[in-house]
Amino acid sequence: MAKSYQTNELHGIIQIDSKICKGCDSCKSFCPAEAIDGAYGATHHINDDKCLQCGQCLVNCPFGSIKDTSDAVDEVIQKLQDQKTTVVAMIAPAVRVALGEEFGMKPGELVTERVYGALKNAGFKIMDVNFAADNTIMEEGTELIEKIQKYVLNQPQEHELGPLPQFTSCCPAWVRYMELYHPDLREHLSSAKSPQGMAGPVAKIYGAQEIWKVPPEQIYCVGVYPCTAKKFEASRPEFTSAADYWKTKGHSAIYQDTDVVLTTRDLARLLKKLSIDICTVEPIEEKDNPLAEYTGAGTIFGTTGGVMEAALRTAYFVLTGKELADLEYAPVRGLQQVKTAEVPLKLAESGREIVLKIAVVHGTKNVEPLLREIEQGISPYHFIEVMNCPGGCVNGGGQPINPMGTSWVGKFKAILPWS
Amino acid sequence: MKIFDDHDVVLKHTLPVRLFHWCLVLGFLPAGITGIVLFFRPFGPEGMHFVMQIHIVGAWLLSLACLGFFVFQPKRVAAFWREIFSWTKRDIDWMKVSGGYPQKIFLGKEISVPLMRKMNSGQKLMGIFVFFGAIIIIVTGLILYVALPLVPKETVWYVDKIHLVVGVCLLGAVCGGHIPLGMYNWQEFICMFGDGTIKVKDAVKHNKLWVEEDIEKVK
Amino acid sequence: MKYNYVEKAVQVTRREFLGMTGIVAAVLWTGAYAVTDIVEDRNKYIKMRADGLYKDDEKHAVRQSHKNKSLMSMYDKLAAKPMSPLAEELFHTKYVDRAIL
Repeated sequence: MAKSYQTNELHGIIQIDSKICKGCDSCKSFCPAEAIDGAYGATHHINDDKCLQCGQCLVNCPFGSIKDTSDAVDEVIQKLQDQKTTVVAMIAPAVRVALGEEFGMKPGELVTERVYGALKNAGFKIMDVNFAADNTIMEEGTELIEKIQKYVLNQPQEHELGPLPQFTSCCPAWVRYMELYHPDLREHLSSAKSPQGMAGPVAKIYGAQEIWKVPPEQIYCVGVYPCTAKKFEASRPEFTSAADYWKTKGHSAIYQDTDVVLTTRDLARLLKKLSIDICTVEPIEEKDNPLAEYTGAGTIFGTTGGVMEAALRTAYFVLTGKELADLEYAPVRGLQQVKTAEVPLKLAESGREIVLKIAVVHGTKNVEPLLREIEQGISPYHFIEVMNCPGGCVNGGGQPINPMGTSWVGKFKAILPWS
Repeated sequence: MKIFDDHDVVLKHTLPVRLFHWCLVLGFLPAGITGIVLFFRPFGPEGMHFVMQIHIVGAWLLSLACLGFFVFQPKRVAAFWREIFSWTKRDIDWMKVSGGYPQKIFLGKEISVPLMRKMNSGQKLMGIFVFFGAIIIIVTGLILYVALPLVPKETVWYVDKIHLVVGVCLLGAVCGGHIPLGMYNWQEFICMFGDGTIKVKDAVKHNKLWVEEDIEKVK
Repeated sequence: MKYNYVEKAVQVTRREFLGMTGIVAAVLWTGAYAVTDIVEDRNKYIKMRADGLYKDDEKHAVRQSHKNKSLMSMYDKLAAKPMSPLAEELFHTKYVDRAIL
């Protein structure tokens, strides 16, 4: 049993095939946790205790020697054929701009309705994770506002709150990184779960009662994410809020909120096994499905700066009473590894002016200087978004592998064999 | 027609040329052989890492020697280039009988062969192969060595395959052709690895046209 | 080390020299151009996917989370508000010290 995992947590998901690995050290450059062992020229090996399961090594290996060993496609197909089970697909934002690539489309083709059509064709019920993303903004945004009221405006709050600066907590690789390498700072993580964490309870409580009207035990939640770390996150033992809720109402079954996770690549394989082609499938709009209703703020969660921008749109409104003049907040967009901005706010209730200082980080290694500032007590920020994968979830470890691209967003780097 | 006596000695390979050849021997051979080992990966982690380190040292020696020779001996590079790309009917005829080597080696029969200059036709072919092969192997090797996280995966994949194929072919040509034949002509062997000189009467056997038209008495 | 014959000196005309230099420069330049192009475009696919999401954002009439009607309806039906006790139970979590696991 690996040391840094809780009971029943999925791990060892990412594996290097020693028959193919040439020891070129490319993967080591991309690993944010220094979890790959092996000298230059020698076969490499992932140290599971340090691995974040993020899959960046996998999508960047030039020889395809790294594999995702957690394959739930057959299990999901079985469940789809089970008449007594309501199989719900929960589609993450980044999936809709990349799934088409597995069927020959260019990167960035927005195929939301085709994905809905394909999933319904296969027998899934639909829930859009963007709904849960909006949900996350409401929870995390409210938490941030309460912290600002407590620490910046000195207004006592009724809820227990962590310290500022607040870090986003939607990225499971980042959360694991914080828990593993800086556990003493973990109170800075937002207490809000990730959209995946919220989607499961929504489906198995609200969805069970109001939308599909089936017993919660019969719901089988299949997360479709651009992310291999989500497979790990779904298996976290504390993510049983739905079952815990129903226990208080007399039910007794035990189950995870999200039962299983498929990456974008996994979903493509599943659809191909069922002979469903994204290019030819009938698009479906799901206009009458409350759990597929989302706002623009929810959908941009999949890109670096997107969570921050979504949070700003709501926090700005709640604090100032006015909507952000320009909803497209440019300073948080783009591939710069650390983006910072200062957002001046004129508070609605007091007329007082404060400046919200924010930072957006992608590529977990880039968060280290900000963490050091916090340790030294000199951090200027109130809110920091961290995404493990360069570019955000659109470039996640579960996305289609783009052969002419790499995740390297930084400056020139040479891998030297004696480094 | 020049008349040479038994004591006439010609300088066939100058010192820079011989030094360059030594660098090729000490650079390319370890790199090529370790390259094959890296392909089959028979050893464990420490072994493969050590093999890779030898590969890198050999590769650097090869690359820097080629660069240095190109920069400091451009006239020899020009001469080499001219020689390998001058093909006449004589060369076609030489190739048709494989220079008489298989007949001599396997059948003990000596046949008449067209006259050659400093390089025979087979050597010219090898020269073309080595010239471009070395450039390819050095460039692809450099990409694999310094540019990995930046260069797209598909590019790396093809660069790796090219590096392998060209490397294996070069190693094969060198070990299967160049070295055995170079040793077979023992006079030439000691000429290149020794002081670069060869008796004119020995040189006449393989390089008659070179002796007659391309050399001159030391002033 | 004694020899009395040498190879005749190699002559390279100015034209030949310039021609060669020109070809070498052209090859190096083309190669460098192609390589820098490939390297500069290495993140293009990420930008394309991100642009797809930003397009999705623009397509939506509602672009702020607090205006998601069915989300608000869910909060109503669950009789909960953000950060309320039920929301804490369902939507919030605590983190683990993995260094001591």
